[in-house]
Amino acid sequence: MLSFSRNFEKILLNNVEKSLALSISYSTETKKEVKEEFRILNLKSVKGKVQPRKPQKQLEALQPRASKMPVDQDWASVWPGPKTFHPASVPLPVRQGYVEKAAAAPDKYGNAELMKIPNFLHLTPPVIKRQCEALKKFCTPWPKGLENEEKCEKHFPIEVVSSDYCHSAPTLRNPLARIVTIKLKLSSLKLDGRAKDKFIRLVGERYNKETDTVTIVADRCPLKKQNYDYAMYLLTACYHESWNVEPWEELKSEADMEYYYWNNNASKKSVEALFGKPTEDIPNVQEYSEAVSTLINEGESEYLVTKYGQSVRKLLGLPDELKS
Amino acid sequence: MMLKRTERLIRKCSRLQNSYIQCSALHTTKCLDSQERLQSFRTNEDNPLNHGGEHTAQFYKLSDSDKAKVFLYGGLPKTFEIQAKTFNETCLMVRKPALDIINCMKNIDYSKPAVRFVLYGKKGTGKSLAMAHIIHYAYKQDFLIVHVPWVGNWMRRCKEQSNSETREGYIDLNLDAAAWLLHFKTQNAHLLSKPELKTSKDHVWNKRETTPKDSSLLELIEHGIARVKYASETVNALCDEIKTLSNDGKCKTIVAIDGYNAFFYPTTRVFTVKKEPVPPEKVSLTEGFLNISKFDWKNAVIVVTVDEIAIAEKDQVSHLPRYLLGKKGFEHLDPFVPILVENYTKKEILSCLDYYKERKWITPFTGLEEEVEFVSNSNPYKLMKICASL
Repeated sequence: MLSFSRNFEKILLNNVEKSLALSISYSTETKKEVKEEFRILNLKSVKGKVQPRKPQKQLEALQPRASKMPVDQDWASVWPGPKTFHPASVPLPVRQGYVEKAAAAPDKYGNAELMKIPNFLHLTPPVIKRQCEALKKFCTPWPKGLENEEKCEKHFPIEVVSSDYCHSAPTLRNPLARIVTIKLKLSSLKLDGRAKDKFIRLVGERYNKETDTVTIVADRCPLKKQNYDYAMYLLTACYHESWNVEPWEELKSEADMEYYYWNNNASKKSVEALFGKPTEDIPNVQEYSEAVSTLINEGESEYLVTKYGQSVRKLLGLPDELKS
Repeated sequence: MMLKRTERLIRKCSRLQNSYIQCSALHTTKCLDSQERLQSFRTNEDNPLNHGGEHTAQFYKLSDSDKAKVFLYGGLPKTFEIQAKTFNETCLMVRKPALDIINCMKNIDYSKPAVRFVLYGKKGTGKSLAMAHIIHYAYKQDFLIVHVPWVGNWMRRCKEQSNSETREGYIDLNLDAAAWLLHFKTQNAHLLSKPELKTSKDHVWNKRETTPKDSSLLELIEHGIARVKYASETVNALCDEIKTLSNDGKCKTIVAIDGYNAFFYPTTRVFTVKKEPVPPEKVSLTEGFLNISKFDWKNAVIVVTVDEIAIAEKDQVSHLPRYLLGKKGFEHLDPFVPILVENYTKKEILSCLDYYKERKWITPFTGLEEEVEFVSNSNPYKLMKICASL
């Protein structure tokens, strides 16, 4: 309200001034008679002659940096780290992309294909060499007696894998760095047949049958050290537990066996009864026992049944199958 | 109405036949070039003793007298029997599996424990007919034949059942057992009259009835047939006696059991009085035939077939012997010689079609062989079914 009233006063004052000035000018005109031409009411204010606008100065495009690069420059300082491909920084006439008919492949300028793929321009051989040289002062000599893979594996059967991460971020920690994986060959543990079977059952899917490796991954603790300790604890516990024989394990019968062992099966007994002598004295029994075991362990197929038949013929001294 | 229709049908048939005779007369000259091929499907060597590799895929005639002695009460599949009746002769094809076993039988050292052969193969490939060929051979060789035409008839379609009197918890299939005794008696009629086939011990049936020691096997069998109540026990006793006799070298024995795996299939369609299904080991007949298919005796050959059809349809998954026999059956038979019976080869299917043509069972036309082979997938049973309408 206050401001409004002030404004109002201001406007009022202005008007008074204007009317005063007007009244003065009228009074002079009446005195001097009209000498000048009649002034036209000029609503549009035209200020003299219109100046033509200056044409804007075209900025000259700089030549790409690549063309100005000296031949003997230090490439490592041009391209110091991994980054997306930039055509002006790379003095190479690289081309990439879909080739139109009767045309060359798209060149490096504005080429999305080149930007998509990861490049290793920061890892040129001289750079690697220089970096290795720089790192050398932190290295110790390779231990003697670990010249090849076999020796390494023999002396250090457990392989521990963990990752360190280095990046610019408010925190140095990366949650993935806590994960510890330990790998070892099952054959490097001292286990007998029963204990080995139990160990495999205890570790479950962590055992790879093809490569004979046990892989234990620990990631439940917040720190790498804790996870490593936990993984080692698991391995130790599994090892000792597999040597333990629980009372109920003694109850395992033929039906619970996961493999067919010819030696503790009815087949052996019947063959011994058939020949009336122990297995060692029977000719061709080896082939027969193998045939029976594969037939039962691998599941039946026409091929295995035929093979079984051939081994039985040999065992019993029967003539071979007729050729059709 | 019915009569009229048949009359018309017969008249039509006779007219057709007349025209067919005319036609065939025209065709004789044309067919001369294929005469050689027509000859090759049949062999004059009707004695299975002389069959060898050169007779494969050829048909030989099973003489009516032999058939009446060996296969009077079963042994040939029913559909084959019907076809044989239509053809007015029984011809068996000489095929590899049977030849293989016959070849082995010729070379076996009979002083050693009995050898077991297991015929296996997909449905309808001719396991039973291979067995028939082997039995015919054994018959010609004067083997004592212990032949069970189809175990499934006992385990899945038994005539009657009753609780065993002698053993608790066992079931007797007395009618079937008596029928089998009759079958055995017919098959071995020429041997049973031999004086050396005598029982080795007393068989006491009840207070009054006894088959004494040194009475002939025939007496034992006759008793079993006459006193159906003891038929099952008689079968078991007979199996035991046969084993003893063979072991002593009094006779050579062939044991041929078709559908053997039915003895090891966990359930049967034999029911107790309380309508509970009986496992096969509780059927008293099983015991005798399992006993006789062991290896612990000499002068014997054991040929069995394992067949998907002998077990319930839901379990007809594989035709391979270990699956069909199961763990127990495999252990019982092991070590055995598995013999695969396969579908017809090209040569066999051509020979079979030639035989059908000769029997005027199919009308020849160009491309018949390829088409029939394709449609039937060379399966002998399917081929027979398809050709029935050609």
